[in-house]
Amino acid sequence: MMKSGFNIELKNVSVGYEQTGGTPLEILKGINYDAAPGEMVALIGSNGIGKSTLLRTMVGFQKYFAGEVKVNGSELSEIGVKELARIMSFVSTENIRVANMTVFDLVAFGRFPYTNWMGKLTETDRHKVDEAIDKVGLQGFKNRQIMQVSDGERQRAMIARAVAQDTPVIILDEPTAFLDVSNKYEIFHLLQVLAKERGKTIVLSTHDLNIALREVDKLWIVTDEGIFQGAPEDAVLGGWLNKLFKNENIGFDLQEGEYFFKKEFKAKVKVEGEGLPLIWTLRALNRVGYQIVVKAEPDFHVLVNDNLWTLKSRNETNTFQSIYQLLASLE
Amino acid sequence: MKQTNEHTHRPVRLAFIILSLAFLLLLIADLLLGSVIVPLKQIFLAFFPSAETQDTFRTIVLDFRLPKAITAILTGAALSVSGLQMQTVFRNPLAGPFVLGISAGASLGVALFVLGFSSVVTFGVVTATGAWPLAMVAWLGAFLVMLLVLYVSTRVNDIMTILILGILFTSAVTAVVSILQYFSNESMLKAFIIWTMGSLGSVTNEQLSVMAPAIFLGIALAFLKIKDLNAFLLGENYARSLGVRIVRSRIFIFLSTSLLAGTITAFCGPIGFIGIAVPHICRVVFKTSNHLVLVPAVILTGGIVMLFSDIVSQLPGMQTTLPINSVTAIIGIPVIMWMIIKNKKFASVS
Repeated sequence: MMKSGFNIELKNVSVGYEQTGGTPLEILKGINYDAAPGEMVALIGSNGIGKSTLLRTMVGFQKYFAGEVKVNGSELSEIGVKELARIMSFVSTENIRVANMTVFDLVAFGRFPYTNWMGKLTETDRHKVDEAIDKVGLQGFKNRQIMQVSDGERQRAMIARAVAQDTPVIILDEPTAFLDVSNKYEIFHLLQVLAKERGKTIVLSTHDLNIALREVDKLWIVTDEGIFQGAPEDAVLGGWLNKLFKNENIGFDLQEGEYFFKKEFKAKVKVEGEGLPLIWTLRALNRVGYQIVVKAEPDFHVLVNDNLWTLKSRNETNTFQSIYQLLASLE
Repeated sequence: MKQTNEHTHRPVRLAFIILSLAFLLLLIADLLLGSVIVPLKQIFLAFFPSAETQDTFRTIVLDFRLPKAITAILTGAALSVSGLQMQTVFRNPLAGPFVLGISAGASLGVALFVLGFSSVVTFGVVTATGAWPLAMVAWLGAFLVMLLVLYVSTRVNDIMTILILGILFTSAVTAVVSILQYFSNESMLKAFIIWTMGSLGSVTNEQLSVMAPAIFLGIALAFLKIKDLNAFLLGENYARSLGVRIVRSRIFIFLSTSLLAGTITAFCGPIGFIGIAVPHICRVVFKTSNHLVLVPAVILTGGIVMLFSDIVSQLPGMQTTLPINSVTAIIGIPVIMWMIIKNKKFASVS
């Protein structure tokens, strides 16, 4: 049932587009990446840097101009389309809107490389489709029209289709775009489970860095200053996350492991208190542009106590019921 | 599992049974009705040479009505299948059999033949050559366009580019045909205009023996590509990732469409509307996007619609036949409008 794992190696690869009567337009060059079975890899980089082009090249939609792409040791360009369909499956952001197609029908497309010329599903095929639907948590949605389910459910159905295709490699181009936060987490988790339980090699591109940092085994980072691959934590320590954006106002908080927007601080504030109320008060004050200080002399104090916020400045002291009220008085 | 199976299959089977019955009834009605009403018994007797039947009825049924009915069925089936293929491949609900410019090519062939000759020979010479040359030049025109389409489709990767090229090509050919019309004399112009109105009655038994195999070949190609057509519903990227050889598959489908649309246009003129409408009707009736069901469904429904149109075009008591092109539009468009209003989802093909 489980196929032996396939690894992917990119050696000195150049990707881009062919131009009529000239040298190809290279978007990315000198790419050296690899992914092992059971590994979930996230490809990150700013918009327009060529993530989709790289992924499209990896699934064989476009040619590569230099270097080698090895799938379990064989050169990708020498693998036929039909054979490749049993090695790799692909999921994109493209929203599939077909009338009169049920979730089951959509997922059943995954069995396409295995069915006869009429596309007739055998008992085994049906079983695998049902299994894939269960895997992504769409039981009960089987006979629903794909036009009548939410974007998140449809995206999960697309992933189920890739699962039903039963390939050792799954490549996904921004599978979590347009989804809400809980759906994003669920999809990352689902892919992680597939990688671990079934030894699949999963490569996906994403802009959800905060989730990727917590969920994936490996990052492939593409920046103008070069490329990186390694554990997310290695990327953080190597300062790669700060290189991702050309915008000077975006910084990566090495402590929090999150991106933030750099602001001019309005004033200094010292906050005292404990527990969750303290943490979220700090965030709120930071958000509206106050610098949190510990040792320096603050412009004012905030005391957090029993869900009451006390603001002490030089001349007056006020108490508030909520962070919202506190912030409103600061304005 | 079995339950869902039956649940989805029962309405499909029922729809096929009902449509088959309608098909048979309309076929008999088409043989029965016309300027002369043939008694039902005579229709059956006509098929048995030894049986005692009146020769006039036998001539009417076997030499006129039967070829016309078969032509109607072939026309409906061919145009509907090619329309379905184009709507799926281009993922566009407005696509039809003629988006590739096939009928434009046929029109140009006919226009060059009918109108181009007007400056050299008299009208009598053209009409004396009969229906064969007309069909041949139309076929030649369609065939040349098909070669062009196939060449372009191996060179151009983007399916939308092919669609746009087809539309531009059609416009260019229409312009050339207009110029030809402008310079031709009245009787030639009338001959050409009549050809553009379409006709099922001009197809002889002899021509049917060429037309039918061509249509069967086109439909057979469509059946062979059922699986790929389904994959095209998800777009070309997904189709390729499922193992479809896009360019090769596209060539087969274009070949099928060209053969179907080109042959019908050559023998019956450019018959519009059917190719766009019938696939939509079938999607609503059969509630499926699976071409394994849709291809046979459009063949059956296309036949029904054309048989019905043919009956309307020569209602009893009328000595003349209405142009089939107008009839298909007048009876079909209200049906489609009603379906759009009743079922909003209808407009989205893919």
